[in-house]
Formats: sequence, C-alpha cells, structure tokens
Amino acid sequence: MIKVSPRVCKMLLAPVSLLILGATASGGEISFIPDGNYAPFYVKEGSGSSKDKLIRVKAFLLDVHQVTNEEFRQFVSSNNEWRKGNVSKLFADTHYLQHWGEEGKEFSSSEGSKPVVNVSWFAAQSYCESVGKRLPSTDEWEYVLNDMDRNKESVHRSVMDWYAVPNRELPSLVNRPKNGFGISDLVAVVWEWTNDFNNFMVRNDSRDSGSKAAFCGGGSLNVTELDNYAAFMRYSYRSSLQGNFTGRNLGFRCAKDKE
Amino acid sequence: MKKYILLISVLAGLAMQGSAFAAHDHDHSAEVKKVVAPKSDSLFNINDVWTSSEGKQVQLAQFSGKPTVIAMVYTSCQYVCPMIVSDMQKIEKSLSKAENGKVNYAVFSFDPDRDTPEKLKEFASSHRVNQDNWTLATSNASAVRKLAVTLGIKYKKDKSGDFDHDAVITILDSDGVIKYQQSSVGKNMDEATATLKKLMR
Repeated sequence: MIKVSPRVCKMLLAPVSLLILGATASGGEISFIPDGNYAPFYVKEGSGSSKDKLIRVKAFLLDVHQVTNEEFRQFVSSNNEWRKGNVSKLFADTHYLQHWGEEGKEFSSSEGSKPVVNVSWFAAQSYCESVGKRLPSTDEWEYVLNDMDRNKESVHRSVMDWYAVPNRELPSLVNRPKNGFGISDLVAVVWEWTNDFNNFMVRNDSRDSGSKAAFCGGGSLNVTELDNYAAFMRYSYRSSLQGNFTGRNLGFRCAKDKE
Repeated sequence: MKKYILLISVLAGLAMQGSAFAAHDHDHSAEVKKVVAPKSDSLFNINDVWTSSEGKQVQLAQFSGKPTVIAMVYTSCQYVCPMIVSDMQKIEKSLSKAENGKVNYAVFSFDPDRDTPEKLKEFASSHRVNQDNWTLATSNASAVRKLAVTLGIKYKKDKSGDFDHDAVITILDSDGVIKYQQSSVGKNMDEATATLKKLMR
C-alpha cells in the first residue's frame, strides 16, 4: 500500500486542470506533458555548470497507465507474428507472455486490467506502433517521473517499499493515484521499457560496452545525487536489458508526439 | 563507497529476481525448417528498409546465403568509426580474393540526419572501401534503434549531433544468425577471420 498524506493529495489534485485527458485507440487515457527541464540521475563527467546538465524535454503525450493484459491480448489477436507460439526468438525470449494460458483462456477476467508483463522491447515497440504511438524516450520517462520535483519523498518511499518486497502481486490499473503530470505508477508496480533503453552512458575512451564503468567503483561518483539509489537501480536495470528479454516485472506504456 | 555499491548489488539482486535473466536457450532441434521464412533467431526477421551508398534499397535478408561482417558507424565520426572500418578491412585483407567473394561486408549508419547516400559514398572512397562486396547504408531513427538493439550496441546522440557508441564488429552466418561479436578499434582480427572462414560455404 502506498500511503498518501493529505499534503500529497493536494499536490496530486492541483495540476489536473492543466491536463488534456482522453480515451485513445489503445483503450487507455493519454495525458499532455508540457515541455521542461530535468536533471538526469547520471550526467557526463565535465559537462560544465549545473545548468548545462539539465536535459530539455519537448512537450509530448504519455499514457496515464501501463498497457494492460487485455489491451495486449487484442493486439496479439490481430497480429499473428506476436502470438506466443509464433514469435521470433530474435524479438522475444522463451519467457514471452509466460503468465498467459492457451489462446482463448489467456487470463482470468480480474487479470485483464493488470499491466502486461513478460513482453520484450520489440513487442512493446510493435504494440505502440499498432496504436499510432511510440515508446517514450528514457529522458521523457525520467522527466515525468521527476515530476518537477513535486512529491519527491513519497515517490522514493514507495520505490524503496517496492524494492524491499520483490514479486508482489500486480494491481489492477483502475483508479490509481496520479502524479502532478496526471500519470500513474511510473514506479513501484513494474519496470518499464523505454525506446532508447540501450543508451550509451559512459564517456571514456576504451569504447567498451557502456554499462560496466558506470556502475562499478569510481565511475559511480559521476552521479548527480549519490544517495538517490532508486534512480541508480533504474539506470542499471535498463543497462542490463537486451531487446528480446522479457521479465515478470517488466511492462511498458506508450507515448506520442504532440500534434 | 564500497558499502554503497554492495548495497546496490544486493538490492538489484532482490528486485530483479524473477526477471528473465537466465541464459537463453538456443537449441534449434525442435524448429521446423521452412524454405522461405528466416530462422527464428535470424536478423533477416528485421524488415526495415535502408538505402545504400549507391541509392539502392537494402534489407538485411538480402545478405542471405553468405556470412556477413556487420558494423555500425557514422561518417562524421573522426576517430572510432574509421578504425572500425579499418578493422573490417583487416579481415578482408587476410582473406583471398576467392574467399572474399563468399563474404558480405555491411556498414550501417547511426546518423539518419547527416548520412545521405552521397555522404556514404564519399566515406567509402576516402577509406578505400571495395564497393563490390561492401554495402554502406542509411535509414531512419527507428531502423537504427532496432538494428542497434538487435546487435546489443549501446549508443546516444549528443547535443552536437555526434554519437557516443559501442564499437562492435558482428559476424552473421549465411542464415543471418549472430555467430561472433568482438569489440573493435585497432584490435587483432584473427579470431574474427577464423570464425568467418568456418562459416563460408
């Protein structure tokens, strides 16, 4: 359970009037995210003043919640190549949709509104394309989680609670609390794919694979907030992924360019 | 500091339990052989269209039938990318003319904005790339991301429009399945060459 203090509730309700909400072809609500800056958890060494370290994110649209089992089932039923038995190993590993039963009996009705998991990056990407959307970039996703620094402590607390109890049962995504941008559950329910999860993050001359130096020993001194290990976890988790990986705690939501 | 790192590792272990990090199964014995469809783990399943330095349309599946040496570069890259190409040329030079007739060399650009087919052609001639069995190709951001993800290449465009990227040379067999990968930049290519020779028909 995430405890929400009265102060937090006020902060959650206040910005709703700024949002554009509406049903979309994917069945989910999508919310307008205004442009802005955020300081990424990981920044390059020697990139100058703190102002230079801010990342500018352009206005875009983001799904309020993750794609659900039911939404993904509809996608699979009209896209043969994404059926469990058909999917190419290049695009999804053998655990793809392993929580689903056979066709026609994929999941019980109570599971339909829970986030779909055990989906690869390729599957997530293809789903978003099929509904005229795309996966959010890592910067977009982190910017929305950062939520203009609103409510920071409560977010950290719920993340740490979540890390402490792995593999808890997933919630239905109906009536979930929203952050200041009107977005639900970016953390503390499932991990989420981003379009550029395979970002190169280390500036060094060795040109070895990006992840190792960032997350071991001296390399980790580059982080802007050393105590923010919730963010540290997200970046190292993403960096450990490959496109065809699936996981029982790994889902996604879609985004869209502003029209 | 060390304690902090240790805590992170423990937390990471806990949180990632249950995720699919186990070794992946690459046993194809149960696979039904189809005449047309690519193998399940073949790169030929990717159907994005690229444009070559000669202005021709390129899809990965056209490399079918011969092993292929693949890398990703961008032509405005001053140091690393020419080295990657030069490492590929080391492989080429260590093979006979007849052997090179049985190999494809393919270079894909990270940079859809600046790498036009003409730019690729300039790059090919300034680096003395033999155009007969080499393909240099450019496409759009989505195709670049998909190929990089498939090859396990991390990259990021920086504010100046340049790219930070892994330098990796990949060898596909004639069915488009990844058989060998090596981080590049001025390295010894003997192992890559030996792998390639085994894959030739």
